[in-house]
This record gives sequence, structure tokens and C-alpha cells, in this order.
Amino acid sequence: MRFFHNTKIRFMEYRWHWIIASTVLNLVAIGLIFIGPGFKYGVDFAGGTQLTLKFKTEPDLGRIRKALEALNLGEVSIQRFDETALHQILVHMQNPKNQEGDFTASMLQALEKEFGGGRQQIEVNLQGSDALRDALAQADPDKVGGSIDERRVHYKPMTDEILGLRKRVGIIGGAEDLRGLASLSPAVRSHLGSNAHFGEFALLAAENVGPVVGKDLRQKAIYAVSFSLLGMLVYIWFRFKLQYGIGAIVANFHDTLITLGALVVTGRPINLPTIAALLTLVGYSTNDTVVIFDRIRERLKLERGKPLITVMDDAINATLSRTIITSGLTWVVVLALFIFGGDVINTFAFVLVIGIVVGTYSSMYIASPIALGMSNWLDKRRAARRHR
Amino acid sequence: MKGKLAWRWGLIFAVTAFAVYFMLPVDKRIHLGLDLKGGIHLVLQVNTRDAVRAEVDDAMERVRGDLTEKGFAPASLQRLPDGDGFQLTPAAGTTNKALDKVIDDRLPEFKVSRGVNVTATLKPEVVRSIRDMAVRQGLETIRNRVDQFGVSEPVIQRQGIEGDRIVVQLPGVDDPARVKDLIRSTAFLEIKPVVRAAPTEEALLATSGGKVPDDCEVVAGDIEDLEGRISGKEYYLVKRASVVSGRDLRNARRSQDQYGQPAVNFTLNPEGANKFGAYTAAHIGDRMAIVLDNKVRSAPTIRGHITDSGIIEGNFTVQGAEDLGLVLRAGALPASITYLEERTVGPSLGRDSVNRGLTAGLVGLILVAAFMLVYYKGAGINANVALVLNAVLLLGAIGALSATLTLPGIAGVILTIGMAVDSNVLVFERIREELELGKTVRNAVALGFSRAFATIIDTHVTTIVSALFLFQFGTGPIKGFAVTLTVGLAISMFTSVFVSRTIFEALLARRVQVKTLSI
Repeated sequence: MRFFHNTKIRFMEYRWHWIIASTVLNLVAIGLIFIGPGFKYGVDFAGGTQLTLKFKTEPDLGRIRKALEALNLGEVSIQRFDETALHQILVHMQNPKNQEGDFTASMLQALEKEFGGGRQQIEVNLQGSDALRDALAQADPDKVGGSIDERRVHYKPMTDEILGLRKRVGIIGGAEDLRGLASLSPAVRSHLGSNAHFGEFALLAAENVGPVVGKDLRQKAIYAVSFSLLGMLVYIWFRFKLQYGIGAIVANFHDTLITLGALVVTGRPINLPTIAALLTLVGYSTNDTVVIFDRIRERLKLERGKPLITVMDDAINATLSRTIITSGLTWVVVLALFIFGGDVINTFAFVLVIGIVVGTYSSMYIASPIALGMSNWLDKRRAARRHR
Repeated sequence: MKGKLAWRWGLIFAVTAFAVYFMLPVDKRIHLGLDLKGGIHLVLQVNTRDAVRAEVDDAMERVRGDLTEKGFAPASLQRLPDGDGFQLTPAAGTTNKALDKVIDDRLPEFKVSRGVNVTATLKPEVVRSIRDMAVRQGLETIRNRVDQFGVSEPVIQRQGIEGDRIVVQLPGVDDPARVKDLIRSTAFLEIKPVVRAAPTEEALLATSGGKVPDDCEVVAGDIEDLEGRISGKEYYLVKRASVVSGRDLRNARRSQDQYGQPAVNFTLNPEGANKFGAYTAAHIGDRMAIVLDNKVRSAPTIRGHITDSGIIEGNFTVQGAEDLGLVLRAGALPASITYLEERTVGPSLGRDSVNRGLTAGLVGLILVAAFMLVYYKGAGINANVALVLNAVLLLGAIGALSATLTLPGIAGVILTIGMAVDSNVLVFERIREELELGKTVRNAVALGFSRAFATIIDTHVTTIVSALFLFQFGTGPIKGFAVTLTVGLAISMFTSVFVSRTIFEALLARRVQVKTLSI
């Protein structure tokens, strides 16, 4: 079986069409980033506190907003997270101006007040296993007696099992959900039934990034990305020629810009994992580009005197089946991640689903034409100098 | 030829055995990051200014004491606004000799300038060392607390060599709020003589003309009713200088007060017991305040001579009393702490994302493997063996380096596996090209590998170069990405060039005449 066998596509002939199309796309992306809606920075770069909450039933977003805005701290944004049936909500709140500190506790308190009226002694959906164990040890429904430490030993396996259940399902609906837990004695069961509070929501994750760290992360991400691109440029310059290095870097910028544009359009947040995804994309795109450059270099040695433009076309055609197969395979993998991977890696997969397509295109239609154009320009300049 | 193949196989088996040794058992060897496993990641800042300020306060008290002893109680003694020095206005008639002596004795670490007033500022190198000590001590204290709390595999590190930030990572904690309180609690315990107490600040200061005397301070405390509910506030005027402090503690643990309510019992070390004993013996009938983190916990009246133990009462839960005992045992923080960054991932979210990511990744990989078999037939098996080996070696390397696998790390793994597949595709396509040009099978295989080799090196090294920079300059997740990427690419070069070629040659070596190749 063979795909794309012995193709003779004249990639270079129409290079201006593609360069213009790409330029337009890039301008649109730049417009989207700098004029249009702009980046939606995630908590890593924007700072603030972000909570992932799981509710028992579909929550009223208005009530969440009202409760948090009443704190009067910072701007609140609320969105659904993952499938609707999971009732998961992502709440983000800015830190008050330039203030450091952790606002998770006050946000949770406000929400607790709104959805259940103040903390009870036993909060099955919010407390840790130690707190639950101590509450049971103090109430002592099993009448174990003895010192508090002896009672703790008695109740520990029960609270561990309750917490285990909460870890599996995210939130415990009520006392009836505890039925399947074997370690619970009837007395404990009925005690929990009448005294425990099964709150409306549980905290799945909390992130807080203060202004100092936010600035730091931004700066370091920029450094890391810039230096790694520079390193790539130098290596390609060293192994090939400067014009090829520049072609590869331009292609990288092209891919990154278009993907960033897609992130803006879909309103996805820019986070540290998003940066990792963009770097993965840059890695793929460069890989594709280098494979083609390599073939160009090889052909230039074998077929001296042939014009560069023909050599480039031949090289791209010769590697076309490899390019399509590799890109197609990796695209299938990231598509699987995008569809089945869940919300945590969804943005990551999205970047690659877009990026691999753009990156494959750019290694053929952007990197080589740029290298060609620069080579021609350098040749002309050299010729002119010789003339003088 | 035979011998050459033998050592190749030997090397492959040795490397594989090494990897398997380091990856098994998987759940012990492969550490999942907090984003996948659940847990807390904290970046906290030690407010080292507090420690500098405390040093200045100490020096001020010593100077005041010395001068007062000589009969020249200072007219005014105030800390400078930026905290690292103080200004002293000597009492009228203070002799130069007395002042010189005090400065020589008490302020060797200060730069002193004298005019009408005396201004003393801490020397910069002293400030630096105080700050450094504060961070180191903070690190040690937090480590003690976390150790007593019993978290497995905690990471507690200073960020940078000279930084004032501390990174704390605690996997698998189910009550983040409690742990955060435990870490943040300064736990600075002082026992101070009470001058008087009153329900409001105005009433407290009425007898001293609305001013706080120089050697005293006002500290508030809660009043509790019989059921332990907070019913109001009480203000205490206490001496600045404490009788004993947290530094004099030998031990502290949860106990009960006379009504059976949770309380914290403490014992003092011999030096502290001496001071405490002398003080209580001389002040029977007076009150003393037990001040914790600048809040009066209780203010009992001294009923007799106490030497080496005491009790802290007041509205504790069992856990609260236990936690206070823990932080007192572990030592006070030298300075207050601000949380700069916090990430808590609940175990259910982490587990869910691992499961779904793994499922999706497996689906993807199976599709890739199936395609390779269909498209490259016999050679596809070869590629898939190399691919599986790649995964095993990568896991082994992660285990051997005891690196942590995070979500961005998995991104690195995906890129690596993609490039490993790509290397195989490059080689196979090349072999097909060579076969088409009419080369013999042996020749085509040799040429295919040698021609593709340059390309594979170039693609891999380009990416490794950029990954190294990411490792150097990146933070947390970006670093994790760089680590798995670098290691993975090195492995990918090994499997796709060395292993894959060895399999091909082994297949060819068996047959004398090779006419066809399944590719």
C-alpha cells in the first residue's frame, strides 16, 4: 500500500498565493489578539483565585455570582467545566488590586453561606478525614468510651471509607449514599443521617496565583520560549544555512500565531499547559521542516546545477508521503485526546489538533519559500557585489 | 557479522532489563505530579522584614534597659519607618560616657550616627544575614511541622539560593484548608506580665492619659462564655519584654483543662524554667498573659511558684489543640508568611483526568500501531516493537531519574512517541525509495537507514536544543515538559535507529538470498 507515490506537485510555483493567504490569516490572528477579543489569560498569568466546584444538581450561576461579588474583592467569572451532567463549575476571581494572599477560604465561606447556611459540625463534602474522624470520636455514637485517642482509632476506618467514596464520586449526595460502605456501624449511620450535613457542593481543585508569581510566570514563559526558538535557529543555521533557519523560525511564528488566533476565537484560556502545548506544536512543525530541508540539502549535493526552486519541489514531493503519514498519525492521536481526553487536557489537545494541520502546511508552503526567497536575494546581492 | 549482531542484541536486552528494573512496580516508581494525583502545591514568601524588625526591637529594648539602669531613661526611642533602624533621643543630662558604653555594648551590628539624636541602622550585611536566617529557619520550621503532620513524600524547598520564597508540595492531602493554616500559623508564643486589663482600648489607656507607655503594648483577646462561645473582647496592657517565649519550650501537646475541654500543655527547658520560676515566685497574685501570635489566649492569675510547665486554654477543638501542640513543638516561624501561589487538586479530579487521558492516549496509539501494520506489513511489526520498547524505556528513565510525570510531561511523551513513529516512517519510506531504484534488499535497507540517519539526527537534535533551553529557563510545568521531551528523544533515537535496524539485520541474516522484503 502506498499513498502519495511519485507525486509531482509544483509547490513553489504558487508560493505567492500561499504566502499571501498565510499573511492574511496571520493578520487576522494578530487582529484578534491585539484588537479583537484578545487573550483570555488563565489563572497562571492573570493571577487570582480559581475554584473548581462540583455541585449535586445543576447550580444557579446567578447565586454563585451574587455570593462572590458580595465579598467585594475582585472581578468574578464563572463557567461550566466538562460535561453538563457532571455539574462542575469553574469560578475565577481576581485578587484585589496588587494584593497577595489566598482567597480560597473566604470564597468558600461565602458559597457555604449561600448554599447551606453556615458550617455544621460534620461537613461530609468539605472536611478532610481527620476532621470527620474527630467529630465522630467526640460524639461517639458507637459508645466506645475510653480516651479520645482510643475512640479515634475506632472511627478512623469509617471516615477513611467515607473519604474514599468522596474521592471516587466527587460529591456525596446524602446519607443514603453511604449505604454501600461496609465499615459503618448502624449507630454511626444514623448519627450521620441526623447530624451530618451533605453540602450542596464539593471543592475539586483550587488555584491561587498572586501578582508577583503571575508576573514571574509570564516573564519566565517568554524567556523560555524565546531562547528555545533562538537555540533552534542557531542549530539550523549551523547545520544548514542561515536562510533555512530563518525559514523555519518564520514558519514557527506563523503556526503559533494562527493557533493563538484559534484560541482567541474559541475563548480558551492561555495557561502554562497551553504554553507547553504550543511548544509541542513548535516541535512538530520544526521536525517537519527539518525533514524537508534535509532532503533539499541532500539533493543539492547530488544534482549540482539544478535550480534551487526545482530541487525544493522535488524534495517536498519526495518526502510528501512521509509528511502526510506522520502528521496524519499524530493528528489521529491528538484528535483522540481532544474527543475522549476530558476537559483537563482539552485545550492542550485543541492546540495540537489545529497546530499539526497548520504546522504541516507551513513546512511545505512557508518555510521552503522563505528559504528560497532569501537564497535568491543573497545570490543577487553577491552577484551585484561581484559586478562592482 | 554474527558477532556484531550478538553484541547489538546484548546491548538492547541490557538496556531493556535496566528500564524494566526501574519502572516496576509502576505505581511506586513513576511519581505522578500533583495535577494528576491530587495534592497541594504552595509557594510562600517569608516576610523577612518581620525578622529584621524583631532584631531592631530587641536592640531597642536592650538600649532602653541599659540607659534606664544608669538613670538616663531615654526621652524617646522610636523605630525608623522602614524598619531596619531606630532613633533615640537621650534624656537631658545623659553623659556621653554612658551613651558610648551602651552603643559599644549593645549595638555592634548597627551603624550609629550621633547628633542631637542617635540614629542607628543595621549594617546591610547584617540585614542580609538576618533575612537569610529567617528563610532558612522558616524552611526548617515548616519541614518540622509537615513531618509531624505525616504527609508522605513532601517536597519543601527554598526557591533559588538567595530567595525568600519556599515551595511546599504535599501529595494526597485531603484537607487542604487545615494544612494551610498549620503551615501559615506563626505560632509565636510569649508569656508577658499584665499591667492591667479593660473591655475597651480607651478604658485601658485612660489611666495613662490615652498613651501606651514606652515599655508596654496593647494586646487583645477573646472572652468566652461557659460553653466556649466567643462573647466579647478584652484588652490587655502588657509589658513588651516577655518572661518566657516559644524559644524556651521543650515540649507541647494536647491535654485537657479542669473542665475536660481540650487545651494545650507545655513544658519549658531548664533555662526557661529558671526564668519562669523566678518570675512567678516574685509575682504571686499578679496576672500574666499567654500571648499566641499577638492574641491573648488566656490571662491567668499567678497562684504559686511555677517552674517548668503550663497550660494554654481557650475554645479549642480536639484537632485545634492538637495542631497548636504540633506547631509549638515544631517551633515558631521567625517571620510571618504570605501565600504567593497555591494549587490544590482534589484526588477525584486528578484520577479522572489520568483515566481519561490514558484511555484516549491508548486509543490513539492502537490506531497508530494498526496503521503501521497495514501500511508497512512486516516492517510494521518492527516499528511497533520499537514503539513499545520506546514506551518501556521512557518509563524506565522516568523511574530511574525519579522525575515526576505531570500533564505537560505527558505532552512531552506524546511529542516523543510521535517523533519515534516519524523516524520509522522516514526510514521505511527511504527503503521503499531505494528498492524502487532497483537496489537489492540488503543494500536498500543499509542505504535507507544511513540516509534517514542524518535526518533523524537533525530533527531530534533541533528539538533537544530547544528543550534544553526550556529546561534552563522554564518553570514547573514547562520544565516537566522539557525533561520528558529530552529523555524521550534520546530514547527515540536509540529505538528507531539502533533497535529497528538490528531487527531488520537479524531478519536478513537468517536468509541467504533475499529477494523480497515485507515493507
